[in-house]
Amino acid sequence: MNRERVFIVMPAYNEARVIGRVVREVRERYPDVIVVDDGSLDETARQARESGAIVARHVLNRGQGAALQTGLALGLERGADVIVTFDSDGQHRVEDIPALIAPIAAGAADVALGSRFQGAAAEVPPLRRLMLRCATRFTRLVSGADVTDAHNGIRAFSRRAALAIEITMDRMAHASELIDQIRRKRLRFVEVPVTIRYTEYSRAKGQGAAGAVRILLDYLLGRLLG
Amino acid sequence: MILFQWIGIPLLALLALVTVAAAVRRQLTWSAAVAWTLLWTAAAAAIAVPDATMSLAHLLGIDRGADLVFYCAILAMFAGFFVVFVRFRRMEQQLTRIVRQLALRDASDSAPRGSDPPQRP
Repeated sequence: MNRERVFIVMPAYNEARVIGRVVREVRERYPDVIVVDDGSLDETARQARESGAIVARHVLNRGQGAALQTGLALGLERGADVIVTFDSDGQHRVEDIPALIAPIAAGAADVALGSRFQGAAAEVPPLRRLMLRCATRFTRLVSGADVTDAHNGIRAFSRRAALAIEITMDRMAHASELIDQIRRKRLRFVEVPVTIRYTEYSRAKGQGAAGAVRILLDYLLGRLLG
Repeated sequence: MILFQWIGIPLLALLALVTVAAAVRRQLTWSAAVAWTLLWTAAAAAIAVPDATMSLAHLLGIDRGADLVFYCAILAMFAGFFVVFVRFRRMEQQLTRIVRQLALRDASDSAPRGSDPPQRP
């Protein structure tokens, strides 16, 4: 069996404290790691580079959506067959990656989306659970796609899917935009159960309720104005 | 003629002149210059003949000419906000594209292009 070339893409903003450890952990199984440093003010880029990642650096902070699109472009440029996006704050588990790649390698899907609400999802903090449920409802409503967790950063894309998708919403609204594009470009997707490690660090970096409202407005304006 | 007319009308005439001058110097497209000049002319007309705005207001079912001018100004302001907002978004998207191009060009494991290695003296 010829192995697909898998690239792991990590958008990162001010993650110097954890990025080195996350990159090293991922590289034990997947050596091709791309870190997109989204204009961090700390040592994120250096830490990532020293841990063996390919580092693309945004000279200005442009948002997670923008960083993901840069990562997809670089992965394609380097000849990736499969691109897995993975958060740089350590909230995802490397053990979940093979299950995301499998449906794509088998040709059963173009995109595999990690879902913390499917199967054996670990305990999600109650308020976060409520917010994520609302966000998912919203995404399902506007995209018409039947997903259970719209705002999870761990996903896998086939080369074809990565070529087809173009994230234009620079900030956090890209998660809904992505689902929307999967539908409109008729890409086949599956959801794969994954576990999120809710550490104090990753929780502090997550979105509060005000952030959720901002994301919603961002998404609606983006849809209206294109 | 009231005092405000003595101040307002020459001021608007000056603005129209500046607008035309800007168009001549190609700092403004001719279509934009015409649009601005029309606006200055309308404002000057409203100041010169206040009754004109009143009859126009009545025609539209508004009581006072001043109210009509006020409503128009508010509407124009919102339209202006909207145009600026759309342009701002487009500029942000262009900025992202530039930042992305730079990031891809200088990705760490490839030699930066367009720059020669430093020369020894």
